[in-house]
Amino acid sequence: MEHHLTERELIEYQFKLVSDMQIKEAAEHLQGCGECREHLEKLQRKFSALDLLRGEAQISEDLISRVIEQTGSAQSGVRTRIVWFKKYAWLSSAAAVLVVGVLLVATQLSKDGTKKLEVAKGPMPAVEIKLASKPEITSAERLDKDIVGKRTLAMAPKEKEADRYAAFGETAADTIPEQPPFAPASAIELVTLPRREEVQLTIYNSADLTLVRERRNLTLKKGWNWLQFMWANTLIDPTSLSLEPLAQADKIDIQQLVFPARLRELGRWLIRSEVSGQVPFEITYFTSGLSWRAFYMGTLSQDEKTMQLQGYVRVGNNSGEDYEKAETRLIVGKVHILDQIAELAKRQYPYNRPVEFDAYSGIRALEDKSERLGEKLLYSYAEKTFDTELRAKEIRKEGLSEYFLYTIEGTETIPDKWGKRLLSFDAADIEVESLYKYDEQRWGNQTIRFVKFANDEDHNLGETPIPNGTVKIYGQTDEQGYLSYVGGTNIKYIPVDEEVELNLGPARLVSVEPKLMDFKTDNYIFDNRGNVAGWDEIRTWKIEITNTRTLPIEIEITRGFSTAYWTIRTDIAYEKYDATHARIKLNLEPRKKQVFEYTVTTCHGTREETFAEKQ
Amino acid sequence: MENTDKSLIEAHCRGDKTAFGELVRRYGDGVFGYLMKMSKNRQEAEDLFQETFKRVHEKAHTFRGSQFKNWLFTIATNITIDGMRRRRRMRVVSLNQRLDCTDQDSEELSDVALADDSYEPSQEAEKAEQAQQVRAAIESLPARQRATLVLAYYQQLSYPEVAKVLGCSLGTVKTQMYRALRTLAQKLPDV
Repeated sequence: MEHHLTERELIEYQFKLVSDMQIKEAAEHLQGCGECREHLEKLQRKFSALDLLRGEAQISEDLISRVIEQTGSAQSGVRTRIVWFKKYAWLSSAAAVLVVGVLLVATQLSKDGTKKLEVAKGPMPAVEIKLASKPEITSAERLDKDIVGKRTLAMAPKEKEADRYAAFGETAADTIPEQPPFAPASAIELVTLPRREEVQLTIYNSADLTLVRERRNLTLKKGWNWLQFMWANTLIDPTSLSLEPLAQADKIDIQQLVFPARLRELGRWLIRSEVSGQVPFEITYFTSGLSWRAFYMGTLSQDEKTMQLQGYVRVGNNSGEDYEKAETRLIVGKVHILDQIAELAKRQYPYNRPVEFDAYSGIRALEDKSERLGEKLLYSYAEKTFDTELRAKEIRKEGLSEYFLYTIEGTETIPDKWGKRLLSFDAADIEVESLYKYDEQRWGNQTIRFVKFANDEDHNLGETPIPNGTVKIYGQTDEQGYLSYVGGTNIKYIPVDEEVELNLGPARLVSVEPKLMDFKTDNYIFDNRGNVAGWDEIRTWKIEITNTRTLPIEIEITRGFSTAYWTIRTDIAYEKYDATHARIKLNLEPRKKQVFEYTVTTCHGTREETFAEKQ
Repeated sequence: MENTDKSLIEAHCRGDKTAFGELVRRYGDGVFGYLMKMSKNRQEAEDLFQETFKRVHEKAHTFRGSQFKNWLFTIATNITIDGMRRRRRMRVVSLNQRLDCTDQDSEELSDVALADDSYEPSQEAEKAEQAQQVRAAIESLPARQRATLVLAYYQQLSYPEVAKVLGCSLGTVKTQMYRALRTLAQKLPDV
């Protein structure tokens, strides 16, 4: 091929729209022609945009259910039989015409005996009539019988089917076979899994674990029933599946859950039922992919003496399953599990290795315990501030030994891949202390700002522990309520009556500047050979603190000496914080500067022994 | 061994209530993806999807071949093209909402976007815009070309299979495919 490939030829080559020979020729040309290769690459890049639409259409379980429900009312098997009748419809018509005809003739004959004789004139009139009539009637009857017979044949399966259902429903009430029917994977009659009536989610955040309890009304027939449960494209752990009847429990026996060989993401329960009709069931299982996290927004008053704290919970769903109108409960605290649910859910087959899954029983017990617990601690924060038409949903909290259970009021729809933010609490007028800290060993030469309060009644809190999460603190800049961002941090779980210090990051308007003013050594001790065995180091430091804020501040300066053998000399009050640190607390007026000095003596070598003896 | 399509259809005709469900689940994503690209919006695709499987249910007893997938896509194509003809007669004005997103969804999406730290609005917006351009380019194709492209490119049917589904010759399929690609080469965005 001597000429360059045209766009048409490139498209045809790329999408194999021409013969193998032409594709081969084009490929050979492309090998030796950079220009055409470039042109082809440009086209390939262009067509790669088509991939943006790949996989964008995920069918919803709801639509599948609708389709199955829509077609579930009429079975195509019945239709087959209807077609069979249509095929022989002409026979029925012909038979009907004949019967009517014969009847008309017979009526005429019975009405007019003379006419009958006239008609029957001949060697053997009566016999003729009989013979003439008989075959007609016989023929009609035969036809009719044929039709009836065929109809009976056609109806036979239906009648048998009807008998079979009747047997399950009533007459065979006492004849449920002891052994379940042999049920190959492809040929079993299944109970359709209906929509959820109720669903409850208990999200154990620490372990990417959610306990789902759903209630569905199953329509059972008397006898053996198979119920199919599928979890394709979800993160449900099939080993945790459990099914319990909520009514008629003494008459319904859940025999087994089977995972048919080589059928993926599908399980079937075998249920023996002594009743027929609708029965509520609870299905429980673990899933992964649901999570929640807490975050908080604090707004400091202008004088920074009080703060409003709002707690939120964000629930996210990446489980592959939509949960409509779910009662959502959140667990604070760590649970111990042996397997990651997401890994269990992603296995090729649910039965490919034995799973020692211990968490379920433990957590189920915990659930039961939670329900037995009478104490229900209610937060009224939401009611205090959201007593409006669109009142925020309340999040109810309950203590569960070392865990804590938060229940979101009412129900929430949490579709797959969506998240929802809910108000957990809103507490106003929490007294806070603003505190600045300086500690070179922890934060370098930066002054760090803290807000301090306690999770107790005195601070309008203390009803429940506060789960770990992110806190963002804003300050009111003026009377109009304009806010400025002050800082943010992550908090750990705060038990009731515990103090908390929120680290808001470096402060720019408060600085601490230490300067080493003097250094000397003293009190040398020599050993027998005349070598230095011990000595003191004496340092004099000047610390300059600057507050350029318009508010008074409290600052805490921590100085480390890298040894436990130290003494300090200063005019300012200090405390020995620990063996190697001293701490100085100061209050500073707005836009003021303060300077103080201290001299620290540290003992080294054998001087440490002398220091210890003096102490 | 996993059930074949044929055995499922037969089971369905015998009255096995699960067989049809299994077929819907097996081909649901594929057919729905096809219908999404053949229709204007998700709602329409859902209607066509229901209509397709309703037709499959009604005509199940007439299925004689071995390629259920081809048969299914033939039904889906016929229903879609019939629908397009009807629409052409009715001329319904589309409000051109996002293909897979209702207004309510959009509000909730923005809510999530605010709450989710990992959300990258600029990248997402750019990607969404490009996808919209691709969708518009595909929508601009005549029905037969669009069906050919979607079946061959997205559903990855071979050209002979596409020919069977659309009831035309292999040569026609290739011509339709080329014409579709030629149009798209002019309209697709640079990714």
